[in-house]
Amino acid sequence: MTDPKHGITEAEAIEQAKQGHEAAFEVLYHLHKRRVYSLCLRMVSNPAQAEDLAQEAFLQLFRKISTFRGESAFSTWLHRMTVNVVLMQLRKKGLPVVSLEETLESEDEAPRKEFGTKDLKLTGSVDRLQLQRAIDRLPPGYKTVFVLHDVEGFEHNEIAQMVGCSIGNSKSQLHKARLKLREYLKFMRAEKAKTG
Amino acid sequence: MTCSEVERVLPELLDGGSNGAFPPDFDAHLKCCPTCSDLVSDLKLIASEARQLAASEEPASRVWVRIAAELRAEGLIRDSAIPDSAIHDSTIREPEFAPARPVVVPVPVPASPRWRWRALWLAPVAAAVLVASAYVISHKPAPQVATQQAPAPAVTSPAPVTPATTPALVPAPAPQQMAKNSAKPKGVSGNGNEIGRVAEAAAEPEPSAEDQQFLSVVSTLGPSTRATYESQLRAVNADIQETQAYVDRNPGDADARQHLMDAYQQKALLYQIALDRIQ
Repeated sequence: MTDPKHGITEAEAIEQAKQGHEAAFEVLYHLHKRRVYSLCLRMVSNPAQAEDLAQEAFLQLFRKISTFRGESAFSTWLHRMTVNVVLMQLRKKGLPVVSLEETLESEDEAPRKEFGTKDLKLTGSVDRLQLQRAIDRLPPGYKTVFVLHDVEGFEHNEIAQMVGCSIGNSKSQLHKARLKLREYLKFMRAEKAKTG
Repeated sequence: MTCSEVERVLPELLDGGSNGAFPPDFDAHLKCCPTCSDLVSDLKLIASEARQLAASEEPASRVWVRIAAELRAEGLIRDSAIPDSAIHDSTIREPEFAPARPVVVPVPVPASPRWRWRALWLAPVAAAVLVASAYVISHKPAPQVATQQAPAPAVTSPAPVTPATTPALVPAPAPQQMAKNSAKPKGVSGNGNEIGRVAEAAAEPEPSAEDQQFLSVVSTLGPSTRATYESQLRAVNADIQETQAYVDRNPGDADARQHLMDAYQQKALLYQIALDRIQ
């Protein structure tokens, strides 16, 4: 990955940052800021908090940059650090990250598959804005797993390790999150169709 | 395979349990059951659309300003910006992005007493910026009704403000007036209340007398340091201008007011950091 403005590679920027060059830090920041900030924003749904979390993630990364040896991709390292920062913040606030209770929710609360009903099919027409709003409405536990898996691309074994649950729980939460999102999106489409 | 069995195995199958291919009886059921077929299609669509949301948002420019300030405060930035006048050996220049090699760092000579004296005004200016911004922001009239009409902030994507693209310096009046006046850029219409639109419509602001004086003092630290401060000042001024315009249109938005306060604090911090270096 090369920064087009300065014409240096990420690896060069990392080495320069280890020596304390501000411009090198800035290059690394601009290369990864969107991914880090977007992840934070998806998890907390609040731009101000997302900025604070992104700032903290980068600061933690830069403080430890001298220890980076290149065994894994820099972006992977940063990504995991960002997730840890966000999860720590959620735990500090007492918000559930992934709740076992959510797997024991009552039949009334669990998303139902509607047999035999005529639903508005989503295929081919998921509005990105509506999807973002639907994600914001998800319960915290569902949202965490959905964001980490479907948005950010982590595998279930990684998610299980990060949030402290089993792989089976992670898969179950993800499936329920997708079902809930499907319901939210269909509801939004129905509302939109009514109002015209 | 029945619909219940499909629902039971779906979580495992959708996540590529068999490299995207479904078992034959599963496929057969989907072909004859439109409900299950629609369900599978919808869930796959949601998963694929979700991936587009990764890295889709841009943080405000103030985030980098804060990070840089913190890195400096912690001594993690050991910049190459050594005052030109302080370099005893004129052949030694620390390159910006040269390959790693031993660099002799000459002992920096403190700024002359004349410049130190001139720079002392930075301290009260920094303090005044904070006080004035706190006064103005806390005394904004409370709205009767929430006026924010913009969609959820998560979905707006303000125009990226980078040192290369930021406008010229925002006019900043005397410190006691700095936060009270809001520089309305030319061409900004009264409609629209999204930060992104304001950023796009903003004309290039003129540098304030204080900013120009600040930069002339910082120049004593060397051209590369001046350039760094200038770019950071540009970024934070653009942020102030942008956020101020948004707050003017949405006085009830507490988050925006906090952002404006943060932006002023960043500017004050920039002044303070420069003062610390000069003294």
